[in-house]
Amino acid sequence: MTSPQLSNYLVSNRKRLALSQKEVAFLLGNKGGAKVSRYERFDREPSLETTLALEVIFQRSASELFGGLYQKIEQEVIERAKVLADQEKLNPRKRQIFTNIANKSLN
Amino acid sequence: MNTIHPKQFRILAIAPVTRGFGFAVLEGRDTLINWGVKTVTGNKNAKSLEKVEELIAHYQPGVLVLEDASAKGSLRHPRIRRLVPQIIKLAKAGKVNVSLFSREQVMKVLIPDGQGTKHDLAGIVAGQFPEQLGSKLPPKRKAWMRERYQMNIFDAVGLALAFRWTT
Repeated sequence: MTSPQLSNYLVSNRKRLALSQKEVAFLLGNKGGAKVSRYERFDREPSLETTLALEVIFQRSASELFGGLYQKIEQEVIERAKVLADQEKLNPRKRQIFTNIANKSLN
Repeated sequence: MNTIHPKQFRILAIAPVTRGFGFAVLEGRDTLINWGVKTVTGNKNAKSLEKVEELIAHYQPGVLVLEDASAKGSLRHPRIRRLVPQIIKLAKAGKVNVSLFSREQVMKVLIPDGQGTKHDLAGIVAGQFPEQLGSKLPPKRKAWMRERYQMNIFDAVGLALAFRWTT
């Protein structure tokens, strides 16, 4: 039985570096560890600025840190790309681009 | 290309002890994603069950691994012997598979000749996850010293590894 990816892997990365929530909060420019705790419990999603700061702290890409969230967004983008690729009036170059997005191939 | 796997097999291991329980979450082949000790006071079994329920809800494991407290030779306290079946019931209600390992079985799986101390086992576990657990391995306990709380983490990770290595 498999389990879906977790929304984020902030706890494992923080513990890997033996950092406290308070220390991560300070590095993010926050006062206390409450926000970090909420991110770790999936109660709150960080802003883009915070996400980039987390990349810097943990030296991991955002798609790795937020595996489950990345996956959810990826699936939504793929579905939209399929809609665009299926349009009748579309130049071949753009159709190829949308098809590549839908198939997760390199553009 | 992105190498994120859409689904992973997740193992939650629980090692109940006097002060609460150690826990470990293993994902995929060999990624330790969380570990720690949950302490409880008052009605220890009821509070332990609440905390285990939270962990199951958060991590949605494919399997819950526990120490078989009723195994022959187990020295677990009667309170813990009562707690283990309650955790099993809780997991089954949440449709989570349960796997039990006696301490002897864990030793046989993790230590080549099956013989060793709790500290030897912790050393092997720390060797598997040096980045995460290397600094948590306490010095070998003398007979007059109390066991350090973080040993519960090694017990839990040992259970998770025993399951991983035998399946």
